[in-house]
Amino acid sequence: MAIVKNYMMRSLNSVSYEDTVEDAIVYMHKTEMPILPVVDEENHFIGTIYSKNILKNIIPEQYGFINSQRILYDRNQAAENLSDIKYRKVEEYMVTKTDTVLERDNMDKIADIMLNNKESYLFVTNDEGYLRGYISRGDLLYYLLCTEGECDY
Amino acid sequence: MITTVTLNPSIDREYFIDEHKPMKDQYIYDNENLKVYPGGKGLIAAINLKNLGYSDVQNIGFIGGKQGLFFEKMVQDFQVTTNYVYTSQEMRNNIKIIAQNPPSNTLYNDYTYSVSERSVKELKKRFKRSIRESDLVMIAGSIPSGVSFDIYNELVEICNELDKDVYLKASGEALNRALKAEPKFVVPYFKHTHKILDVKVEELDDYIKMGRELQKKGAQYVIMPFHTNRLLFDNDDTIYMLSPREYCIRNLLGAGDAYNAAFFDFIYQNGFDFIEANRYAAAAALDIAEHKTVFLHNREEIEKNVDNIIIEEMEV
Repeated sequence: MAIVKNYMMRSLNSVSYEDTVEDAIVYMHKTEMPILPVVDEENHFIGTIYSKNILKNIIPEQYGFINSQRILYDRNQAAENLSDIKYRKVEEYMVTKTDTVLERDNMDKIADIMLNNKESYLFVTNDEGYLRGYISRGDLLYYLLCTEGECDY
Repeated sequence: MITTVTLNPSIDREYFIDEHKPMKDQYIYDNENLKVYPGGKGLIAAINLKNLGYSDVQNIGFIGGKQGLFFEKMVQDFQVTTNYVYTSQEMRNNIKIIAQNPPSNTLYNDYTYSVSERSVKELKKRFKRSIRESDLVMIAGSIPSGVSFDIYNELVEICNELDKDVYLKASGEALNRALKAEPKFVVPYFKHTHKILDVKVEELDDYIKMGRELQKKGAQYVIMPFHTNRLLFDNDDTIYMLSPREYCIRNLLGAGDAYNAAFFDFIYQNGFDFIEANRYAAAAALDIAEHKTVFLHNREEIEKNVDNIIIEEMEV
């Protein structure tokens, strides 16, 4: 049976709920991940911090609406807004109601979750709730590709 | 979850060529003659433990720059869980040129990697929250520039606070300072300096004296390399000499890491027995030393060597 454990990325790259927004942004940049898992002091998964949520909080206009005439003004305003919140805790900007999957879950379940809630990454935990890694849309597609034939790309 | 720590990992590249000569360009067309793999004490042990069947083995450490992303992907290929603090500076690369005619082995060892204070702080936080599921933590290898020599001491203190045992393979000042935190197992390594606790070691008596000194300063058990043997310092002051018999060394790369991994494997499989854990660990190291391979593959290979490991109590 195809289970998540065989397709996931075993990475514990994460931020703590007590880390700052600045820590999260630096980490997103370095790891090239727009989304990071948030863990407690024992590495249990407790939520997700999204780069788009941080942006929503600092861009003056409604997210996604920056016209070319206002871009300079908006950029300066966004940078100023970011400096106001960068030392605030991740817990203030994280989302706690995010779906997770278990290492032993069937890969077919992943497709349902990803399609239903538009998540591009799902974080993986073990039965005790400890973070174990993540699985992406790319991993899901690769799995689907492999079910139809040889997997030697 | 088994935890190993590698603060100064590297991307290791081996080039196998016919002749290593200045001003002579080399062209490599065969994949077999170019090997690229993740390196670092602790990490190789993690890969070994994964190969021995442990489902969750993590490696904690620093990696840097865009090469860090590449490094992490390489480690993932071995199914080891990665837990790395990304630094701004690119991580280090070691290059080994292995020539056939005449046989030579040239290593360009890169020690330019440096990490910031911010990254060190992040690593300590990450370490503390990531070892909760581990009973025994392996900390091994050198430390990059920018990291205080107190780092191992601080990591061992965190383990003590959380009631985790530590297996520490370290050298130099980082080892000297770590002893204050009383790590359970200490494996000094000293091939660059031939010094333990800043004292030169040459004769057997020097090794015995410094092993005892490591214990006086805080180590509970000491496993001391002594040429192809090991001196084992038990916590009841007994000293043993461990030696392999009837062996033919073909390779030394990876033998130490196999030793460390198998030591853990024995304890996880059988419970703690200092002498027998070392016998089994040495059997694993012997398996690597007698074959042209870096990684352990299964327990059968280790077990067939166990009877070739002699451990005798020394009269000192």
